[in-house]
Amino acid sequence: MTYEKRVEAAHLARRAGFGASPEELDTYEDMRYEDLVEIFIRPDHVTYVGDDLIFRRHPNIHAQLTHNPMHWTYRMLTTNNQLEEKIALFWHGVFATGEGKLNNFGSANNQIEMFRRNGIGKFDNLLLELAKDPAMIIWLDNQTNHKSEINENFGREILELFSMGVGNYTEQDIKECARAFTGWSVKNADYMTLMAESDSIWPYGRIWWHFEYNEDDHDDGVKTFLGETGNLNGDDIVRIICKNEATARFISRHLYTFFVADEVPVPQWSNVTPRDPEAIDILAKAYMESDYSIEHMLRVLFNSDFFKEARFTRVKSPAELVINTLRASGTYDDIDAADTTVFTVMEEAGFMGQKLTNPPSVEGWHTGEEWINSGALVDRVNFASRYFGDCGNSGVMKMATRVKSSLKNDFKMNELIESCLNVFGHVEISGSTYDTLMEFAKSASISVGDPQNVTEDQITDLFKIISSSKEFQMC
Amino acid sequence: MDFDRNDRLYVTDESHHQVKIFDKNGSFIEAWGRGNSKASNLSGPSGICVDSQGEIIVVEQYPGKITKISSDGEIQFSFGENGTNNGQFDLPWGVTVDREDNIYVADWRNDRVQKFTMNGEFIMSVGVSGEAPGELKRPSGVAVDRQGVIYVADWGNERVQIFDAEGKFIRVLQGEADLSKWSVEWLESNLDQYRAREESTLMMNDLPEHLRTPYHIASQTEPIFWGPVSVVIDSNDRLFVTEHSRHRIQIFELEKSGVT
Repeated sequence: MTYEKRVEAAHLARRAGFGASPEELDTYEDMRYEDLVEIFIRPDHVTYVGDDLIFRRHPNIHAQLTHNPMHWTYRMLTTNNQLEEKIALFWHGVFATGEGKLNNFGSANNQIEMFRRNGIGKFDNLLLELAKDPAMIIWLDNQTNHKSEINENFGREILELFSMGVGNYTEQDIKECARAFTGWSVKNADYMTLMAESDSIWPYGRIWWHFEYNEDDHDDGVKTFLGETGNLNGDDIVRIICKNEATARFISRHLYTFFVADEVPVPQWSNVTPRDPEAIDILAKAYMESDYSIEHMLRVLFNSDFFKEARFTRVKSPAELVINTLRASGTYDDIDAADTTVFTVMEEAGFMGQKLTNPPSVEGWHTGEEWINSGALVDRVNFASRYFGDCGNSGVMKMATRVKSSLKNDFKMNELIESCLNVFGHVEISGSTYDTLMEFAKSASISVGDPQNVTEDQITDLFKIISSSKEFQMC
Repeated sequence: MDFDRNDRLYVTDESHHQVKIFDKNGSFIEAWGRGNSKASNLSGPSGICVDSQGEIIVVEQYPGKITKISSDGEIQFSFGENGTNNGQFDLPWGVTVDREDNIYVADWRNDRVQKFTMNGEFIMSVGVSGEAPGELKRPSGVAVDRQGVIYVADWGNERVQIFDAEGKFIRVLQGEADLSKWSVEWLESNLDQYRAREESTLMMNDLPEHLRTPYHIASQTEPIFWGPVSVVIDSNDRLFVTEHSRHRIQIFELEKSGVT
């Protein structure tokens, strides 16, 4: 029973967070699963390395466009509120905003902070905050969506990519939606746009944007949107969108894809049946019965059988793989914000195909098997095996020590391998991977029987093989 | 950084755990600290100043101590350790001396400034944690004028605060920059931006609630301080406030402007 609880808890930790160490699993195994879910959703005493220390060590951070992923990495590595970061990653993938066009570190960072603040709240509130988010406004040009001449960009994407999906509205709905969001702009829009375009810190550095509703530029005429007619403004559009069944299903499918199992890319959703239609029904019902609460949907999701049975059915995104590896290996256990290697470590996720705050388009990243190609796979394997193969990393040493101490006298090779898999969060491997591990263990002359004859270096060599396996690419 | 009476420039090199010394032409003279024979145990030197005797006072942030070094690189003595009590520090940063060579340290993560005698005996502490007037949040620098008035770079609150010689709060400086001549030249070369700027409101008075923090207000309001990391008073009683996030120095004439 204890083993099963550990497996279940490890699965939850991989999805609601970036994985759990064996020591964390020790504490989880005494808890009821439902209580553990609550700890991930609403942890007490949240801690992480603070912005004060980061800004002290990197006072130029506000001038550097590319520092957002690094800044985010500090948080993902050090926070004990892992779901908050996962949900920020989730919404960043759905509401994909690229900082290259923004050219404004703080506004991109403020959007991520907005996802943390509202990410598990009510979806209507989140969508409203998104419509007011300065980074999104500039990203989709809503500052140029005028009463006199609409720009449909935001009006189209809020329907197609952010809430309902294609096939659930008309071209006329898009136009009416855009009209309703006229006047939703940023303060000093012309100046801020020119500053972003000029890519200069002159005269006095960047200015983070903030939302401004320009009533004079808002089209206050009568509009008809999804069958409702009236003097509709942006908040009316959000209200109408959020009560729509299509929205419930669209958001459910997104949550399923991110937290449960890989799906086909979003553009195919209108043509391809969900992988688990019953699960989408359950999540959509949770959305409706809770007045669009993402927190409630997550609670239902994490406690469901379809979630518990979906172990190792998702390919880790590059960001997940990087943070999971670094947290588990303990590379940054004693992190100092002065450590500039954090600047470069998240670049590795970019090499694997996910450059945070710089998605390929407003559609975000295609996930699942699309993360894997020959180049990315080599990067992923090299990255993970480099960290897990280094006994100098405190987490790796702890894992190796734990493996060694778990071995009984007269232990067999399969028990050593099983123990190694357990400290990786109970990775479930195929027969061929098992054979490879056995073969390697024999070729490395690992002696069975007396645990004292097994060295930490030999154990970490096994870690390298495990972290190079196809199963480690999954979560 | 600071100059001694011979115009030698002392610069702390935090990452390399060194103090580097240059002549007035910028030529390197020598280094103290890690990898050198002099003061080889320096740990994360942050603030530095030179007292009236030509001795160099270095803040060692990691062990939380203040070290006085002679001009030829010999350590005279150190005081302080990590902690929150009087005479202890948590990642201290800026340092200065007054006319009597009393030592003032911006005790960064303890949200206070501590004053010591030239021998390192504790005299008083100024400020407590907070955002209200007289309270400090991660102070990074400190200066003292010839009357003993204390100027604190209240970095985390994006402002400068002024205290009298007894540590009693006097007033806040929030910053009030206009365009420098170089900025005007730049804007005149970018006329579209100049015109758009002139039609803009650079003071932000209508931020939503979640953005009403010192950081967010400063980051969205150009004329006020953003990242005021250092305060220095020159021999003409001018206060120089360096803002790392605005790449700017605001200068106040203390008597003329009636700052104190």
